[in-house]
Amino acid sequence: MTNVIEPDEAGKALTEISRRQGQVIDAASVPSWYWWIVAAASVALGLVVDGRDPVAIGVVAVIYAIGVAVLTVWVIVGGVRHVKVNERMLGPEGTGLIIGFVGLVVVGTIAIAFALRSAGVAQAGTLSTLVCGVALVIGGPALMSRLRIVMQRHRAEAR
Amino acid sequence: MAASRFDELIHAPTRLSIVALLGASDWAEFRYVRASLGLSDSALSKQLTILDEAGYIEIRKAFVGKRPRTWARLSRAGRTAFEGHVNKLREIVTASGLAFGEAPEVEQRTESKPEPERSGVPRSALGT
Repeated sequence: MTNVIEPDEAGKALTEISRRQGQVIDAASVPSWYWWIVAAASVALGLVVDGRDPVAIGVVAVIYAIGVAVLTVWVIVGGVRHVKVNERMLGPEGTGLIIGFVGLVVVGTIAIAFALRSAGVAQAGTLSTLVCGVALVIGGPALMSRLRIVMQRHRAEAR
Repeated sequence: MAASRFDELIHAPTRLSIVALLGASDWAEFRYVRASLGLSDSALSKQLTILDEAGYIEIRKAFVGKRPRTWARLSRAGRTAFEGHVNKLREIVTASGLAFGEAPEVEQRTESKPEPERSGVPRSALGT
């Protein structure tokens, strides 16, 4: 068995490895349409909440929760995914970014809704979910860009 | 960190690309690997069989709905061998004084986007 190769061949191999790992990182991104769908569903929920019909709110809230959960699982690990990025590439920083973003959007939306309602705004639900929707449509792709940077850095550190 | 060790089985160009893809993933679907590397079903099956027989990958098959799917992942031994191989490559590059990235780009293979799923996945060569 030959155990010695020329440095330029070793360099080419490392470049190829890096390129293929970059492909996996790119494939792991959540598509932008996902954020638009969740944003639209959130605004629809806000509209129903402002209707103040308890039955409608209950039904739509359950549909919203199940729908978003199923879509999220399907997008991240299911139907549209053909590869799952290694968790070590994401690391605690990537996980923290995801949890932080979701937490910020959820807590922020609820806080805005309560603040608007306290101020006597009639369409508090709709307005707060509109803010939530904008945050998702803008922040979602931004989060994906940031995660891509984190994974590329972890990949480089692993080399 | 895995001990640095040149692995001739991994270093073969197509297998290096396959193992690099699998090294960055927890698992990858057969058709994703095939499309990413621009390989034919038979060429990919052949390389996966070699890696499988060496104990470097694990292959899982299942039906999703009515469609057969095949997934591959690096085994523990495969990941250790890959990490050791990467460490050896780094050692060679570092010892030469060549900075990583100075090496000329590898020959570009034909890239293609993931194709629509074909009617089935090759089973003959996967050997599991």
